[in-house]
Amino acid sequence: MKLSRAKRSLLVGAMAVLAGVGLLAQRGGGAGHFFTGLNSNLPYDGKFTFVRMSYAAGFGGRQGPPWSHDYPVGEAHLMRILTSVSNVRGHLDGSNVLAFDDPEMFKYPLIYLVEPGYWRMSEKDVTSLRSYLLKGGFMIVDDFPSWAWPTFDEQMSRVFPQGKWEDLTIDHPMWHSFFEINALTLPPPYPSLGPEAHYRALFEDNDPKKRMLVVANYQTDISEYWEFSETGYKPVDENNEAYKFGVNQFMFGLTH
Amino acid sequence: MIESIFRFFFKYERLVFEQGRFVFGATRSMWLIVAIAAITGVYVVFTYIQVGTLRGRARGILLAMRIALLLVALFAVLRPMLLLKVAVPQQNFVGVILDDSRSMQVADESGKARGDFVRDAFGRADARILAELGKRFVPRVFRFSSAAERLQTTADLNFQGTATRLGDALDRAREELSGLPVAGLVVVTDGADNAESTIDGPIAGLKAQGMPVFAVGVGKDRLSRDVQLTRVEAPRRVLKGAALIVDVVVSQTGYAGATVPIVVEDEGRTVATQDVHLPGDGESQTVKVRFKIGEVGPRAFRFRIPVQANEEVAQNNQRDVLIDVYNRRERILYVEGEPRPEPKFIRMATDRDDGLAVALLQRTAEATTNAPDKYLRLNVTSPEELLGGFPTTRAELFQYRGIILGSMEAGAFTPDQQRMLEDFVDVRGGGLLALGGDRAFAEGGWAGTPLSNALPIALDPANKTALQPPLELIVKPTRTGQSHPATQIADSEDAATAKWKELPPLYSVNVAPAASLKPGATLLLSGTDQRGRDQVVLAFQRYGRGKTLALPVQDTWLWRMHSKMPVEDMTHHNLWQRLARWLVDGVPERTMVSAAPDRVQKGEPVTLTSDVMDPEYRGVNEGRIAAHVTAPSGKVEDVVMEWTVEQDGEYRARFTPTEDGLYRIAVDGQDKAGAAVERGTMAMRVAPSDAEYFDAAMRTPLLRRIAEETEGRFFRAAETSSLVDAISYSGKGVTVTDERELWDMPIVLLCLMGLMAGEWLFRRTKGLA
Repeated sequence: MKLSRAKRSLLVGAMAVLAGVGLLAQRGGGAGHFFTGLNSNLPYDGKFTFVRMSYAAGFGGRQGPPWSHDYPVGEAHLMRILTSVSNVRGHLDGSNVLAFDDPEMFKYPLIYLVEPGYWRMSEKDVTSLRSYLLKGGFMIVDDFPSWAWPTFDEQMSRVFPQGKWEDLTIDHPMWHSFFEINALTLPPPYPSLGPEAHYRALFEDNDPKKRMLVVANYQTDISEYWEFSETGYKPVDENNEAYKFGVNQFMFGLTH
Repeated sequence: MIESIFRFFFKYERLVFEQGRFVFGATRSMWLIVAIAAITGVYVVFTYIQVGTLRGRARGILLAMRIALLLVALFAVLRPMLLLKVAVPQQNFVGVILDDSRSMQVADESGKARGDFVRDAFGRADARILAELGKRFVPRVFRFSSAAERLQTTADLNFQGTATRLGDALDRAREELSGLPVAGLVVVTDGADNAESTIDGPIAGLKAQGMPVFAVGVGKDRLSRDVQLTRVEAPRRVLKGAALIVDVVVSQTGYAGATVPIVVEDEGRTVATQDVHLPGDGESQTVKVRFKIGEVGPRAFRFRIPVQANEEVAQNNQRDVLIDVYNRRERILYVEGEPRPEPKFIRMATDRDDGLAVALLQRTAEATTNAPDKYLRLNVTSPEELLGGFPTTRAELFQYRGIILGSMEAGAFTPDQQRMLEDFVDVRGGGLLALGGDRAFAEGGWAGTPLSNALPIALDPANKTALQPPLELIVKPTRTGQSHPATQIADSEDAATAKWKELPPLYSVNVAPAASLKPGATLLLSGTDQRGRDQVVLAFQRYGRGKTLALPVQDTWLWRMHSKMPVEDMTHHNLWQRLARWLVDGVPERTMVSAAPDRVQKGEPVTLTSDVMDPEYRGVNEGRIAAHVTAPSGKVEDVVMEWTVEQDGEYRARFTPTEDGLYRIAVDGQDKAGAAVERGTMAMRVAPSDAEYFDAAMRTPLLRRIAEETEGRFFRAAETSSLVDAISYSGKGVTVTDERELWDMPIVLLCLMGLMAGEWLFRRTKGLA
């Protein structure tokens, strides 16, 4: 059964690549056809919606503001894979971008944050995020270079001053929540992120037996794989593994 | 006074006229007398016609007076009399049945205890009524309460009987006096019968033997000042930590409008107090009392209202209830068809409750050509549990006590699995809760399936597609939902009412209008959409041995996560813990034990009934089943239980408790093949009954009915002066016919004199005299 699933993932991944190539060929730069512009969030309807968190970073840059790195293609590709291999009812016609102080955030129990090295929160943001996580929300942090940890830790310490990060090992249920991931050896997509990836988690009451609140993909950028999976930038098996990581993390966040 | 006046004018008491037969006893030829009277009458008429001075009205009046005078005289001459069958003195027996129960201690008989009247009137051989009876009859005295017996000496009367079985007492007296000449039975009681059988049989027996009952009612028809805690409706078995809402019925007279507390005590410790505003005199009111169950084991809860000033009966202010509190994690199977937040948040709520164990079978991918449905299993008790997906046998499925069915289409289940879902409720007696979602209810193809029969809402097969956009619903409880245990989101009704108004809306993708509620279902929560239409949000119905609930919304988790819900707000947790507990509340075990009666006194036989089921909840027949009865002292008695044959799996036995206190009963054994059956237990408290103090007012209608249907009479205690005569004139037993002359009644003489005087006066006024 495992082999069938892997083969199926490969097939769907390949299809996504082909579809992506075709679509990208139409794109001509900027946002893809599948996603609406940055200001057009989808209304809440109970279906799973990919939610990327925005924050004030002070600069834009060639790739846009840091929170938008890999947007929108990264999530578009992930959603296509997620809804193909599982029966998550998810939106493929768009995703949402929300700020931490936006009450709408609370309608989406799973949120995604990138480039935490540039992340700054207001007091209102801090209160909002704390409430969100304590009530049952789950946050995935990605595109996380090694130098970003102090800033990230500083922001999270405002949310949970006593918070303690635990490194996840391979036997953690997250890595078996959908696909069976046998090793946490997916290399960072580029060297400047760090020598190897570590997956760190914050738990309720700092108790690994209780609910996970945040998972941080430290020293890696899994969404980079998703974004460029159709370009041949990375080997197919690494792209597949990245999708498996993503699907597992999202599945885990939805179910735990 | 009226009786005295009647006797003065009519020579005899009214009883004689009621019992006697009126006849004319004339010995001469009646024709001759009538002829003479007729001639006289004609002469009178002729005389008056001749009188020229008499005209019209005056003539008529005088004529009438004369004729009336003649008639009265004729009446007297014809020798009117009453024929009475009178019991021959000392030739007849009279049964005297005295109520010796506790209700006779109530002091409402002219300021004294009812029992005092009994002692005064019947308590000694020379007591007022008994002595009078003794002059004319041979009395046989009995006493009764829960049983009747001959009374050797009235000093044995102690008014301590814990039940009043009036019918049994009448039967006993009738049987003992059967074959003897009996003038009647005198029963002296307040009529506060609390037997389980009706009085019809005993009355029929008395009528058949022609034995009249002369009922003497003691006490007031209605107590003047009394508060009564009439009934407490509490479950017999609950899970530890349950938050109960118990119906307590209160009635009163003399304290209308007062506010009194209902105090709930657990083995002497106060666990709740609830004020109740008393209803009008004679009315009953149901109060919902809330309290939480703490300790495990059979617990004696006492519900009481403090005795009020000048209350006539204090003993009916409390009720004891035995609740068996058990401690285990009730297993619920939650089957979810798609990864979504709802199961995560439901588990977050139920995992905090030590009394619940929700095993989640979460489908994460649907079957393909090469692979079956993929599942994630959480909270399973063993690696093998649910390994093959949804159970394929009843034995496996029926291990759970509740099922939560998420957004999973009917097509994901085989036809047999669909039937199993219905049987889970109908046969096993489990609780099933169906949640809303894209693949739920009619939208999930459940219309027309066996499970749709069990659901509390009707599914329209035309609804094949989930609503998009979903309906936004403002949710509020119905009147029933406000006080239902499943929907308590706060510790008090007022707090819950306020909370419901604050909750954010929920969303539904399923069509479930209010009109889809089935006739036997109860709506607990309704939702109003933006067009003002009402939708079912939570409804339930009993189905077979179990119950089903429908919750056709997709995101109750918003009541936890929504931005306006504070972190410390536990509404969502409370709701799901209570909903899940109620889902499995009352779900039967494989072996169930019950006792009848459930309120027992020492020495009273008890019938034990046990329903013994196999793992598929089919009755186990021809098993070797035994009840192990452990008395409060620790002594164990083993009682073999016999299969009743009338019903699959039903076994019965009897035993008689010999000690007061808590009895524990365990039933186990083997089926026909020798396999052990599941053990079932119950607890039972044996104590003197307090039933006598409840509804202790005199039951005049009952006593009247007994008297009238047996051709006897009803007397109030203060009006027994004619009791002995009434028995004498009943016409039963050995009797002689007594002639009572009526011609010499004072009223006859008065009529004659009155008519004569009246005629003379009238004639004078007309100048004729």
